[in-house]
Amino acid sequence: MLSPVQISIMSNRMDSVCREMTNTMLLTARSSVLGVARDFSVSIVTSDDEVLAAAEGFPIHVWGSNLQTASMRKNHPEFKEGDAYLHNDPYDGNSHAADHTVLVPVFYEGEHFFTTAVKAHQADTGNSLPTTYMAQAADVYHEGSLIFPAVKVQEDYKDNEDIIRMCKRRIRIPDQWYGDYLAAIGAARIGERSLKKFVEKYGKETVRSFIKEWLDYSERRCIDAIKKLPKGRLEANQSHDPIEPWVPEGIPVNVKIDIDPDEATVTVDLRDNIDCIDAGLNLTEATSTMAAAHGVLACLGNDLPTNSGIMRRINIQLRTNCVVGIPKFPHSCSVATTNLTDIIVNVTQSSFAELGEGEGYAHGNYCNSAAAGVASGNDWRRGGEAYINQMFLMGGGGPASSETDGMHYLFIPVTAGLMYRDSVEVDEQRFPILVRKMGLMEDSCGHGRRRGGQGTEVIMGPRKDPIHILHVCNGLESAPIGVRGGTGSRLGQNIRIDKEGKEHPYPAVMVCDLEEGELLRARDQGGGGYGPPAEREPERVLRDVENYVVSEETARSVYGVAIKGSRLDDNLAIDLEETEKLRSKMSV
Amino acid sequence: MKYKISVDTGGTFTDVVIAKEEGSLVVGKALTTPDNVFSGFSEALENAASSFNASMQDVLLETSVLIYGTTRSTNAIVTSSAAKTALLVTDGFPDTLTYRHGGKRDPLNLKMEFPQPYIPRRLTEEIIERINSEGGVETPLDKDQASKIIKSLSSKDIEAIAVSFLWSIMNPSHELQMAELIEKILPGIPYTLSHQINPIIREFPRTSSTAIDASLKPLMQKHFIELESELRAAGYEGEILVSTSSGGIKHVSDVIEKPIFTVKSGPAMAPLAGIAYAEAENLGNDVIIVDTGGTTFDVSLIRSGEIKYTRDTWLNGEWIGHNLGLSSVDIRSVGAGGGSIAWIDSGGLLRVGPDSAGADPGPACYGKGGTKPTVTDASVVLGYIDPDHFLGGRMSLDTQAAKSVINDAATQLNMGLEETAAGILEIAGEQMIKAIQEITIQDGVNPAESILVAGGGAAGLNILPIANSLGCSKILLPKTAGALSACGGHYSDIVSEYSASRYSATDNFDFQGVAEIFDELNSKLDAEQTSLKKRGVSKFTKEFFVEARYLNQQWEMEFKLPLSEIKNSQDVESVIEEFHNVHFRRYAVKEEGGIIECINWKGRLIAEMDKPPHVRGDEDRESDSAPDREVSAFFSSHGKCKTPVYLGSKLPIGTEISGPAIIEEPTTTVVIYPDTSAHVTTSGHYLLTS
Repeated sequence: MLSPVQISIMSNRMDSVCREMTNTMLLTARSSVLGVARDFSVSIVTSDDEVLAAAEGFPIHVWGSNLQTASMRKNHPEFKEGDAYLHNDPYDGNSHAADHTVLVPVFYEGEHFFTTAVKAHQADTGNSLPTTYMAQAADVYHEGSLIFPAVKVQEDYKDNEDIIRMCKRRIRIPDQWYGDYLAAIGAARIGERSLKKFVEKYGKETVRSFIKEWLDYSERRCIDAIKKLPKGRLEANQSHDPIEPWVPEGIPVNVKIDIDPDEATVTVDLRDNIDCIDAGLNLTEATSTMAAAHGVLACLGNDLPTNSGIMRRINIQLRTNCVVGIPKFPHSCSVATTNLTDIIVNVTQSSFAELGEGEGYAHGNYCNSAAAGVASGNDWRRGGEAYINQMFLMGGGGPASSETDGMHYLFIPVTAGLMYRDSVEVDEQRFPILVRKMGLMEDSCGHGRRRGGQGTEVIMGPRKDPIHILHVCNGLESAPIGVRGGTGSRLGQNIRIDKEGKEHPYPAVMVCDLEEGELLRARDQGGGGYGPPAEREPERVLRDVENYVVSEETARSVYGVAIKGSRLDDNLAIDLEETEKLRSKMSV
Repeated sequence: MKYKISVDTGGTFTDVVIAKEEGSLVVGKALTTPDNVFSGFSEALENAASSFNASMQDVLLETSVLIYGTTRSTNAIVTSSAAKTALLVTDGFPDTLTYRHGGKRDPLNLKMEFPQPYIPRRLTEEIIERINSEGGVETPLDKDQASKIIKSLSSKDIEAIAVSFLWSIMNPSHELQMAELIEKILPGIPYTLSHQINPIIREFPRTSSTAIDASLKPLMQKHFIELESELRAAGYEGEILVSTSSGGIKHVSDVIEKPIFTVKSGPAMAPLAGIAYAEAENLGNDVIIVDTGGTTFDVSLIRSGEIKYTRDTWLNGEWIGHNLGLSSVDIRSVGAGGGSIAWIDSGGLLRVGPDSAGADPGPACYGKGGTKPTVTDASVVLGYIDPDHFLGGRMSLDTQAAKSVINDAATQLNMGLEETAAGILEIAGEQMIKAIQEITIQDGVNPAESILVAGGGAAGLNILPIANSLGCSKILLPKTAGALSACGGHYSDIVSEYSASRYSATDNFDFQGVAEIFDELNSKLDAEQTSLKKRGVSKFTKEFFVEARYLNQQWEMEFKLPLSEIKNSQDVESVIEEFHNVHFRRYAVKEEGGIIECINWKGRLIAEMDKPPHVRGDEDRESDSAPDREVSAFFSSHGKCKTPVYLGSKLPIGTEISGPAIIEEPTTTVVIYPDTSAHVTTSGHYLLTS
């Protein structure tokens, strides 16, 4: 038995290793998907495939790494020190093909102790269309991405040049890919170096005890959190927008949740859903599991260690050949990290609100607007050089909780506010575009005692050279809901404004070609509200009116708060008498 | 002139350090008086002067240089009490300060309150104008609309104006025209232009710097003018210099123009003391400086004699608070100090912090009603802090109260009283280790090959085991550890920095464009040099830096250029080589043959000041290497040990002390753990060996 002090100290060391790996990745990455949007994750997996520690990252990414190390061990029983494996196989543990994962087994005195896993979303992976989210993909062949099912990419710490050359031949902007590959290898190797020191310092026996006790401790923490929840069976559903012409009726998603505080388990059943579809939105085992777990864990209270110990108490039930389950080869999972996962996270989190006051959240924005699409083209300023990269010019209103208003830059539920946005100036330097507007929209949030975050509007257009944007969106036909008396928000929109000023809306799967003089207007959604708006403190409503979050009209009609004074003199104030009247009418 | 004075006005204490002619440093302390800065300052000065039987008046009359550091501006930002400021931005982009860079901690926590943007949306106005990324005018400035908006600010009682337009760094004409309009319409109102205060690409950090600087102008101008007049009234006739966030000092007239430079300036001075002490003791020039206060632990870094800087300094929370945007001394703070509270989580693990008992009620042993175990309580239980000799005996501590709160934790953990106390100190040490690892590892520095300089009242309690964990064998604990930042003032130089933005990739280097940038930087630095020469400064050094990245890499890395101009392809080659080397050192990867994009350029002028020589200065005191008394102290490796306590002021130079032992100084306590030792250096500092 290790002392509670020793366990604390050793777990802190694990966190340090993860942070070192994260820093390396963040600061050396090339494509904005990684360096800005932080669309990568690092984790440390035990020799028997349990996630021991993970740096802060998108849950959807992090906890699949145990499936991938299992795949590495299965495919390479002879794996050894100095090896590194490239894994992006969606049918064998990876999130989606665009996430290249580098796995480095860590040995000490010849014994395998850990595997470091660095998963990073690439700007391109050689798809048949220039996007890493190919909703149109009928199957993996149509998708066209190179698939690496745990392929040995380094031996004796040296690249297998064959693999590197293959990638450079089939991936757009090969140097960008190679730079990101180097960043991932660098991060995984830095983790390896530190973990060796860790075992050297504490000794093999102590490290083995630590692994067991740390996972047991984490399980206890999870048990404690679940025992505080009310018992309940919840069921909720929501549909994804139609994917014309492949799934014209939209994709319904059903989530059943069983919360059993007596047994200290939460079970999420995703089996009652349609089969895999002939489009790229099918989820993978990793993303189905983690989307559901993400929704549950966000409702359990924060500060739980992120490892397999807590997952012992959360059962995710999946079915093979299910659109939100385990994919059947060769169905495409190109868009397996967003869209349907956002629905699962939202629906799970909002279901918890039914358990009682204080529980769960409203919906957050799930319209990943066109301002987060993958842009490609040629840049006249650099002699017509080609470029391809995802833009991140979104806000995305966060969900309200019982205690707090939603944030203004959630992005989408699965990224949970972790992403950086692009600097407008940096994007204009990188892409031949001019951004006309990026701002929060008044009255775009769901209302409540706590309101959602605001939605964002972005207007942009090409400078001289045309620009090609591919994207798959949701939330154009439905909007986030509020909970416990809170209201929902409004639809997202992606619209092309032609040279005459006429508006042409895009469907969910959009192929956007803009010429000089044309504009793209992308609007994401506000988050939903929590609790009745009539219970919102008038001071908060006043602050919202002052700062253009809600209009005076909405303050009156939705919140029952009358505002007096003048913006010009900066002396807006609550009209107490009138507010009292309005609110007494509302309570009737 | 006999003296030089350095002052650090902290949140709780004001530290004064007087350097005497022969070089010895005398420390004085008093409580900070936020309402009248001068009264706390003069009390601390009296306190220091009295130790050599002088009065404040005597000292001030014989002083030629006074270096003043203040947390006034930092506090104004943290407590949102700076001036009511309007922000004028490019039409279409009113929410830059709300979006920030995006990002937050902890994906599973959506119950976070987000701080309001530094300037609220209601005081942000959009001006019709637009420059593009090459500096071309897409939309000319609409002067009529701009004039109307500036006029409208007067009815809102606006006290300062920040102007930040997109791409003003490529073409400042619109911002400059705004300045003319402001001076015409609202003469006398302080304003800041983004391309002048922080000319770097990325609208968020630049706008944030601009907003912060403008908002501080009314307040800091008043503050410095008051300070100066009180000092003059007290008879002081010498120069007044102010410490800055870049670890240098500036004349008071310069910081009045750019008050943002005073933000977080106190902690920025600590590394200067660190490197001065380490070099004086011949301990090399890779130095890690730690400063332990009551609630926070600050770490800064010096590599090969160069201070580590960052552009990512936040107030009120990383990512979600307010970004300084400027290049300033990189200081990592963690919430771990003497007041940090220990607790046991639902899984049965012992945790320390981030909650702190603060100064009120403070640790349980203060006897002011604290009921939770803290690091200080643990130190009392372990016998490291003598309840009768705390702060030189000025405050007595309640040992029973400390034992009782630690015992509550011990019972829950099913551990012994002392083992629990030792565990609390060890886990608090973990937070500190993490902070040190982060800053060193990110810069490719190996702590094992560096010297650790430990300052702050609580540093000596656990610095030896921390150093041991890091593999760091040498620790220097200055006898003035209790006032490290104020000491730093004595080792500071006047530093002036100017930046400029010009994109240039190494495969198609823009020699002419970059030469223009160097000309611009040089002419600013030369003007600065001319004016400093008139003030009697004679030694100058110029340095140039670039923020650069591999082609399409997302973040730039700043490094010092190995040359002072870039004229030909050979010069470019040497820039490329230096970039590869620094990149490899920091991130363990480099891309041979990779193209490098240079983004921001910076010139720095260092005007050297006279520094006090390193002497001990109290040789006339009685020397006694015998312990003052013996106490029982607990160490996890050895259990309870009879431990001698030495009075630091009496120890002769060259004394060797083996652990276990305790050395008491008036402002700090040094715990020498078993199997470690301390050596009193010729300057009277403690060189600890782990």
